[in-house]
Amino acid sequence: MTQYAMVIDLHKCMGCGACALACKSENNTAMRRNGQTHNWADYQHDMSGTFPKLRYTARPVLCNHCSNAPCVEACPVEPKAMFKTKEGITMHNDERCIGCQACQDACPYSRMECKIGETSVISYNEEGEPYETFYADKTAAIAGGTMSGAELAAKTDNPPHRTKYNHPDYQDVRRDGITEKCIFCEHRVKKGELPYCVVSCPAKARIFGDINDPKSEVSALLKKHKPSVLKPHEGTKPNVYYIREYSVKK
Amino acid sequence: MKIKRRDFLKLSAAGGAAVALTKGKSLNAFAMSKRGAIKGESPGEWKASTCQGCTTWCPVEVFVQDGRAVKVRGNRYSKQNDGNCCPRGHLALQQVYDPDRIKVPMKRTNPKKGRGVDPKFVPISWDEALNTIADQMMELRNNDESEKYALMRGRYTYLRDVLYEIMTKVYGSPNNISHSSMCAEAEKFGVYYTEGQWAYRDYDLDKTKYVLIWGCDPVASNRMIPATIKRLGDAADRGSLAVVDPRYTTSAAKANEWLPVDPGSDGAVACAIAHVMLTEGLWYKPFVGDFKDGKNRFQAGHNVNETDFAEKESYGIVKWWNLVVKDMTPAKAAKLAGVDADQIKRIARGMAKAAPNVCVWMGPGCAMQARGAYNGMAVHALAGLTGGVDNEGGSMQTAKIPVNKAPKAYKEYLDDVAKKKTKYKKIDQRGYLNSPALKKGKSGGGVTTNNAATGILNKDPMEIKMIVGYMNNFVFANNGTEKWEKALESVPFIVHLTSHASEFSMYSDIILPCRINLFERIGFVKTKANGYATCSLNLNTVEPVFRALNEETEFPWLIGEKLKERGFPNLIECLRDVYPDPETGKKATNSMEFTEYALKYYTKKMWDGKEDVGGDKINGWAEMKKRGMWNSDHYEYRKHWGGHFKTETKKFEFYSETLKKALSGHAEKHNTSVDKVLEACNYTARGELAFVPHYEEPMRHGSRREYPFVFIDYKSRLNREGRSANNPWYYEFKHVDPGDVGEQDTLRLNPGDARKLGIRDGDRVRITSTGGSGYSVARLWEGVKPGTVSKSFGQGHWAYGRTAAAEFGKKERGINNNTIIPWELERLSGSNPRNGGHTLVKIEKA
Repeated sequence: MTQYAMVIDLHKCMGCGACALACKSENNTAMRRNGQTHNWADYQHDMSGTFPKLRYTARPVLCNHCSNAPCVEACPVEPKAMFKTKEGITMHNDERCIGCQACQDACPYSRMECKIGETSVISYNEEGEPYETFYADKTAAIAGGTMSGAELAAKTDNPPHRTKYNHPDYQDVRRDGITEKCIFCEHRVKKGELPYCVVSCPAKARIFGDINDPKSEVSALLKKHKPSVLKPHEGTKPNVYYIREYSVKK
Repeated sequence: MKIKRRDFLKLSAAGGAAVALTKGKSLNAFAMSKRGAIKGESPGEWKASTCQGCTTWCPVEVFVQDGRAVKVRGNRYSKQNDGNCCPRGHLALQQVYDPDRIKVPMKRTNPKKGRGVDPKFVPISWDEALNTIADQMMELRNNDESEKYALMRGRYTYLRDVLYEIMTKVYGSPNNISHSSMCAEAEKFGVYYTEGQWAYRDYDLDKTKYVLIWGCDPVASNRMIPATIKRLGDAADRGSLAVVDPRYTTSAAKANEWLPVDPGSDGAVACAIAHVMLTEGLWYKPFVGDFKDGKNRFQAGHNVNETDFAEKESYGIVKWWNLVVKDMTPAKAAKLAGVDADQIKRIARGMAKAAPNVCVWMGPGCAMQARGAYNGMAVHALAGLTGGVDNEGGSMQTAKIPVNKAPKAYKEYLDDVAKKKTKYKKIDQRGYLNSPALKKGKSGGGVTTNNAATGILNKDPMEIKMIVGYMNNFVFANNGTEKWEKALESVPFIVHLTSHASEFSMYSDIILPCRINLFERIGFVKTKANGYATCSLNLNTVEPVFRALNEETEFPWLIGEKLKERGFPNLIECLRDVYPDPETGKKATNSMEFTEYALKYYTKKMWDGKEDVGGDKINGWAEMKKRGMWNSDHYEYRKHWGGHFKTETKKFEFYSETLKKALSGHAEKHNTSVDKVLEACNYTARGELAFVPHYEEPMRHGSRREYPFVFIDYKSRLNREGRSANNPWYYEFKHVDPGDVGEQDTLRLNPGDARKLGIRDGDRVRITSTGGSGYSVARLWEGVKPGTVSKSFGQGHWAYGRTAAAEFGKKERGINNNTIIPWELERLSGSNPRNGGHTLVKIEKA
């Protein structure tokens, strides 16, 4: 059985922001609003020690695609809107989702509301609001001289840089009143491509593959290095692993 | 009150209804069976262009669906970025699709100019805009005042020749003022007056064994970002990494040694590293040479006879030792720079052990200081001592990029007025006694951008009556913004060629909408990284939503037509005649044809197959446009060894005969001495010290008593130079800069310092220097050296757009670092001391 997983090499990672921004351009995720980050990929930062003996970690975070996924367990819909695919991706079906946010509430890596600096791998699209209000605004900085968001969207799309793709479970731009999260870019993976954050990582610090295939790079890396996962005590069995250290202890 | 569906469902769930529905059922299999076909990505095309979000100038590709730009990646053919871009490439999508972009030409209807004064812009036709500009230009020409026209250039492509060079000269003005010295001229100074190269270096990270990063964070900014992001982790696995920087950067986190030097005192540490290498006999002898009898006579405090030493690839090691290095012990430098002496020794020994595969990665932090020129020389001298200069695993110069130069024939279109006036002195006062700007050894050889404000205000060497600015924002991006505000207020007619209504626009009379460089603009750049030199094309991967100009070529063309209507045909005839289509010889008939012909002219050696220029073989113009770039062959190591450095002595100079000649020449021009030149330029060195790398006490504006902290400016890894400040993603992801916080303009303080001031994390604080004052949000972070505060450049706009400003045209969001940093220059190179070390500040809880 295939189990897709991601290994993040923190030694190679430079915390640059490319993966998170690339994800936003691939999946057209909205901008932060109503306490929802809509960042399917984001970062947690940690600093310890005192000047000048310091240790810093920038840790990329995303949906852990847990083997024991509380979000799936919590989804009250029949059939479930949040479910596991046979390749181990934690998948979300936009159509069946009723927007109850039980998944978001149950996920130990998510928050119902985020303050600046906090992360959440599941976000909620507010009911009754346009997907991206920024491009629905009809005012202009200089009347007649600069554009408005709505004028720009009318001539392009919302968002204007919308990457169009097609997948039976989730849309490239998702409707209001539902939750959304990283789906390991299954629309790409099923076509033989890698998730977009993986191909976009300039450090090649994100490695994706089948953890049950002993010949895969992810398997080799997990064998070579002692991996860690986030919140192991939650018993979620994440499929996002971290190897090596971000910084050198001084 | 409206009960939303999810609230209702939550209530139901709490009551057990929804849970009961699913209890005991396994639904996954059922869900799976209903899944339809995955069609994947909709059709689109990857189109080549160039990202100019920083000075890496990455060849990139844009994914275009339905005529819209939707994704960005590195160019697949690039040997520099291997097909990856840094976060700036992705971020740029919000720049091209920014609702606040200018969509039509505008004119000012409120004659009063000033900060916060509403220009009352109204839309006008393209024809009215161009006619108005041409009328103003003709009026100046007719009044014999064409020298009072100035062109101010910001970020450019190499099609700049047309707007910056040819148009200004043919029209008859000496005043083409670039932005170059805002960036890194003091850094280039350090390299030129040791190694003889006025340019950035390239670094051989694949083969290095020791990387010394000094005053920059090359995974975040500087010249080869994606290449470094990819390789720094591997380089650290292979060897050692040391970072000299008052800031704890990403590179510092990754490094074995972090040496948090006091801002501006870098010269002391560099000379002390040299001191250790020399006293311990650790210098790289195949490059520097050795004592004739092999016995090391470098003993602290003792002079050495020059005749006892036989140098190889270098010149002046003993002179430098006797003048400076012998006395700069690690203990002394540690005291001057506020660092650990043992660390200086460890770094010196570590580098020596790895020599010559050592990268001495000098960034602007050490050099772009008011007295930074000698710091730059001192740091780069270490590349000489380790033999890492121009060498495998070290720093490299560049392979040749076979682009054509501006066609000389344009000079035939200069009339007598133009011939006379182009020889006038320039408005930035370059070459004046206190502005040597010694680019490539020449007095007044380089620009002193920030001094143009002085020239304008003092009407010296002339009054300025008209400015055309392009892709620049000098009133925001130069330190001492208040001086620029006054200067621009005094200019009667300003044209801004821009994509956004920036602060510079707010002083302008006409605004013309222009293209965004990664997606729409046409041009080409020359760049190098990872051992390869590259020519990369900027191409119109998508068409602008509203008409926007390729200002470097279309503006001169369109104005040329208008000037001809008014009896001055020289410009349009020149452009039409000197840039025919290199394939057919056909002359351009409109501005877009002209743009294409000019681009073909400059790049043709790389695609027309007529001569072997090395590197990628490209078959014709169509293929060149499709690929978007050309790679050179790999750089040839040690090309300048064996007496081929472009210095006076042809050697790597620890004692700079090249600088001696340049300074003496400048002094002679003003009938004075080198000592007087240095005095006028705010340097303390006198006598022979002027010609060697050395420590200068850092200049600070204000008293420590009143302003207890040194202010450090740094560049965010999300700064697309200055152009991403109106993008919401910039604020959302600001936390990718270590220590920063999203959605705020962060001032970082050491927690110990903050406690003494009663400042807590998240407090609003007022920052005040002798130059200006403003508000930001305190962030307590251990990665800040006590006694310093640091803040990234980029925020604090009062115009530019509605995301960038708190209130567009009126109120700033945060505070511009360049308002806090008082107006100043590094005069030997003409640079802006932009890293802020001369700025002392006080911090108060607001």
